[in-house]
Amino acid sequence: MSAHGKHVEDLTHEQTHLPKNSGWRKVPAIGAVLAVAGIGGAFAMKGGQEQQFYFSYVTSLLFWLAIALGGYFFTLVQHASRAGWSIVVRRLAENVMVTLPVLGILALPIFLGIHDLFHWSHEEVVAEDPMLSWKQPYLNTGDFITRGVVYITVWTVVAVLFYGWSLRQDRASDPAPLAHKMRGFAPLGLVLFGLSVTFAAIDWVMSLDPHWFSTIFGVYYFAGIVVSIHAFLAIVVVLLQRAGALRGVVTQEHYHDIGKMMFAFSVFWAYIAYSQYMLYWYASIPEETYWFAYRGHGDWLVLSLLLVFGRFAIPFVLFMSRRWKRRASSLVFWAVWMLVGQYLDMYWLVQPVLAHEHGSDQIHFGLFDVLTFVGIGGAFLAAFGWALGRAPLVPMRDPRLEESLNFENF
Amino acid sequence: MPKRKKIYGLLAEFRNPADLYHACEKVRDAGYAAWDAYTPFPVHGLEQAMGLRRSVVPWIVAIMGFSGAGLGFLMQWWMSAVDYPLIISAKPYNSYPAFVPVTFELGILLGSFGAVFGMFALNRLPQLYHSLFNSDRFAKVTDDGFFIAIEARDPNYDPARTRALLEEAGAVAVEEVED
Amino acid sequence: MAASNKTLAERDPIDPLVGRYPLVEGDPSFSEVTAAVVRPIEQPPKAWWIFFLLSLGMLGIFGISVGYLFWEGTGVWGLNIPVGWGWAIVNFVFWVGIGHAGTLISAILFLFRQKWRTSINRAAEAMTIFAVICALSFPTIHVGRVWLIYWPLPIPNQMGMWPNFRSPLLWDVFAVSTYFTVSLLFWYVGLIPDIATMRDRAKSRVAKLAYGAFALGWRGSHRHWVNYESAYLLLAAMATPLVLSVHSIVSFDFAVSQLPGWHTTIFPPYFVAGAIFSGFGMVLTLMIPLRKWFGLDHIITTKHLENMAKIVLLTGSLVGYAYSMEFFIAWYSGNPYEAFVFVNRAFGDYAWAYWIMVSCNVITPQLIWFKKIRRSATALFILSIFVNIGMWFERFVIVATSLHHDFLPSSWDYFSPTIWDWGTLIGSFGLFFTLFALFVRYLPMIAISEIKGVMEKANPHHPSYGHGGHEGPAATKEETPEAAAAPAEPKAAVVTEEKATAPEPEAKASPEPEAPKSSEPTDAPGADPEPAAPVAQTPKVEAPKVEAPKVEAPKVEAPKVDAPVERPGEKAPSQAEAVKKPEGPKSPTTRGWTAFMDAADMGIEPPKVTPGPKPAATDETPDKEGKEDA
Repeated sequence: MSAHGKHVEDLTHEQTHLPKNSGWRKVPAIGAVLAVAGIGGAFAMKGGQEQQFYFSYVTSLLFWLAIALGGYFFTLVQHASRAGWSIVVRRLAENVMVTLPVLGILALPIFLGIHDLFHWSHEEVVAEDPMLSWKQPYLNTGDFITRGVVYITVWTVVAVLFYGWSLRQDRASDPAPLAHKMRGFAPLGLVLFGLSVTFAAIDWVMSLDPHWFSTIFGVYYFAGIVVSIHAFLAIVVVLLQRAGALRGVVTQEHYHDIGKMMFAFSVFWAYIAYSQYMLYWYASIPEETYWFAYRGHGDWLVLSLLLVFGRFAIPFVLFMSRRWKRRASSLVFWAVWMLVGQYLDMYWLVQPVLAHEHGSDQIHFGLFDVLTFVGIGGAFLAAFGWALGRAPLVPMRDPRLEESLNFENF
Repeated sequence: MPKRKKIYGLLAEFRNPADLYHACEKVRDAGYAAWDAYTPFPVHGLEQAMGLRRSVVPWIVAIMGFSGAGLGFLMQWWMSAVDYPLIISAKPYNSYPAFVPVTFELGILLGSFGAVFGMFALNRLPQLYHSLFNSDRFAKVTDDGFFIAIEARDPNYDPARTRALLEEAGAVAVEEVED
Repeated sequence: MAASNKTLAERDPIDPLVGRYPLVEGDPSFSEVTAAVVRPIEQPPKAWWIFFLLSLGMLGIFGISVGYLFWEGTGVWGLNIPVGWGWAIVNFVFWVGIGHAGTLISAILFLFRQKWRTSINRAAEAMTIFAVICALSFPTIHVGRVWLIYWPLPIPNQMGMWPNFRSPLLWDVFAVSTYFTVSLLFWYVGLIPDIATMRDRAKSRVAKLAYGAFALGWRGSHRHWVNYESAYLLLAAMATPLVLSVHSIVSFDFAVSQLPGWHTTIFPPYFVAGAIFSGFGMVLTLMIPLRKWFGLDHIITTKHLENMAKIVLLTGSLVGYAYSMEFFIAWYSGNPYEAFVFVNRAFGDYAWAYWIMVSCNVITPQLIWFKKIRRSATALFILSIFVNIGMWFERFVIVATSLHHDFLPSSWDYFSPTIWDWGTLIGSFGLFFTLFALFVRYLPMIAISEIKGVMEKANPHHPSYGHGGHEGPAATKEETPEAAAAPAEPKAAVVTEEKATAPEPEAKASPEPEAPKSSEPTDAPGADPEPAAPVAQTPKVEAPKVEAPKVEAPKVEAPKVDAPVERPGEKAPSQAEAVKKPEGPKSPTTRGWTAFMDAADMGIEPPKVTPGPKPAATDETPDKEGKEDA
């Protein structure tokens, strides 16, 4: 390490801990209130509009879940790849990851609303529909719930294990065994991640319209996950620095990297989305194209175009700039932009199904969307804020912390 | 009477990247403009020590890349929808989803030309003759030699003082190079 | 801190928890690196001739097969009515796939700051270009009337017609030729500084002129480097999506159709993963023997092989994911044709091919999970052959099984290759290997300037150069007069300098290199924790070094001690000289890489002793081992 470099021993308490009286300390409480108000309120009002409620709920859940799963992915990938640059933000990702148990519980209403959400869950519909009868060995209530519980369990177990190991490492006399353990299990965790996310996406999103299918669907949701976590990290880092923490720990160089990953994966998202769209458009087989067809009419067309330009084209041209990735304010701007894009994307995946069912091509963005978004987000932030406050903001004993502190882009 | 040769400047050799780095800082601070460091590989951070600005290659690439993509799309549109419209596999004349691949490839192609030939142009390459090649010592620059050359055309140049500066900066050897 | 670091490093020197495994083992000097890389060019081993002549023979087979094809027409191939796309397209996709590793290594790993790529990128890029040449030859000979091959280009013509931009085959023309051009540019740009090295070393006039012309007059100017590096970075940034696009577009050839087994949305990323997989398979196949023959295993280390193996494992598993996804959705879609194709693949006429593909692509790579296997060159070499076979069969399975059972049973048939099909396939390997042999003969197969740039000593702020900043020059200043006076044998100067850990003025005190003995106490393993810095100044810095695996402790330390000694006298022996000098510090100091060079025996395992996380590893290689390589 260069003699002028920063050293782990020199880190001050203020740099590595949430300030005592910062607003961040109130996040758990505020989050909890929002969660109760949002989810409770939406639940209370759902009478008569169950379907809309559940579709809104799934939209919001997918949005927040993508961030949380991103924390899972980010943390494990850094272990598996022996990354050095990211250590200073890895604890934040771990804190995001450890919200998974909470979001797992919040995913349970999907099972409650199964009849409102999923066509195929109605025996009488299935009986009349040869396609759905064919799919019944996979798309049936019992297996659907079992699978759902498996995904949630996998996420919870892996998240809690890795979070626990990382926290234990902070206090361990010798960080090596835990470091090796995390490295050793990370690839396994990533395999589980790949499988669980793919099938969760198929079950919870693709089967909303049970006739439609696409082999790339899991990858599509995955692309959104990676964009979301980097965007979220960017926002959190900058806000924490405004609050006084992490100054001099997370630098411009780390902003730049987070920005680059965000940029790269938004392009990756576009690539996957294009592959899916273009192949169906070109082959023009009705059983595949109808899914895009009803997203290409009325209001949905506007939303589709908004995704093409907002989620890909505009950030592609503008966020390419090196300077904008390295400045806190512009980084946050684009991070928020990306998250908005992610929400629109989830909305675009989920809600047209409902409109289509009712023969409408209009967007009804309503109270349920807002309430569930705020509610689930509140719960997520509460868990995240709680995790932020209870441990150092960086993994203090990670062997590569010093490397990360001194990290420089070339 | 032998004709007096023109002098290109002074060439100083340094032992390693670190010495070169600090020497560059000194030369920079002494206010020289027509000078350069020569290394077998890009030494990290040397551009700061030399006080160089960031390269303009990215701008060339951006312009070339976007115009490549734009022209690529226009070409396809004009050929398929304007000049000789043909219905093929029930696709519209202007089948923009199908035009994406070629548009993209042409953007990349022109962007890459911009990067490579832009870099050549900025560096004035190819330039097969250069005064520094007159120095035998200089052959090491592609192996393990680290050099600074200060040109005689620099207004601050003074054979004695410049030599002193270089020696003081830690040069292993300083020699005068003919133009 | 130091104590725990020690345990950290000892556990697994190749995969340390702190710092990075050195990218070049044995800490050679810059000129030693140059020498090692160009040696195969200046003194080609005999093995090269054997390899070259064999390849040339295979190339002859290619010539004969293609010649006969032109004479007789495509009837000589095994194509039949449902399988109108046969061997040629299989080979095309196979070769394009091989051609992906090069640009992946140069571009994507570059963006991910995977510095280990510098040892292999040059050869992999060359391989890319040759593989793409092989690939391009197949559609060319497949068109039947080769003399009309220019038709896909948008050239104004008397019919007033234009190519069909809605055809994926035309996208291929643009994609593959762009890929070829950009890869070539990328490769050439990387080569310029190294060709300049060759120019400056060339003895014969022809070589001087040839290398001189291609070096474009490169002179290592830093003002040039700035633009050069920027251009290189941007090329990498553009080549990255380009790599993805090329194989995606190749996959579009299949996937835009309505044919069951081809028309599926996962094709683009799945082809890309497969391409990277096969490309790395081929890189391993080529590099493992080469590093042995050319004595480059201190530059292409076990660590490099392990990293590549991990990428093979990752992409192999992604390919496995795609296979299973296709199967699942084939059933889930409820489309009976789709389901039929997949059942037919696994249990039909071509089941043998299918299971070869699955075992080679998905099952055997799982062995890489075991550390023993992924660190054994032999095991990896065998695995990589399986990868090559498996990926060829993957393309064969995709093409043959989807086509041979058409929608109507009346148009079912079985494709089997003729001897001319085999001849072209084997011959294309001849083309590939011939080009590759010429490449290793005439161009540096390792990027010399890049590898120097990632060595620890390339960093001007490396602790062994002292504190940099302001002290640096001051220290040197005192020595300057002497330095200038000394008949600077610059090479020696450089070598010694690198070793100098803490250029302290006191160093001047001891005029003779007497070193090792005095050094012993310092480096006795027990002594390490903090003493590290025998010479004050850089305690932090030294910490990691100290903890280097015990074995090598003496060695690592030693140079430090004689360094200050050598420093004052410009003439102080370089490492190389030290070896020859009887009185030179014989023992650990000299045993490093120089000894290895002198032994000049390819067989010698680059001393296990040497590696060890170097002090600088932490500093100079902030290459987070990117995100990608797990």
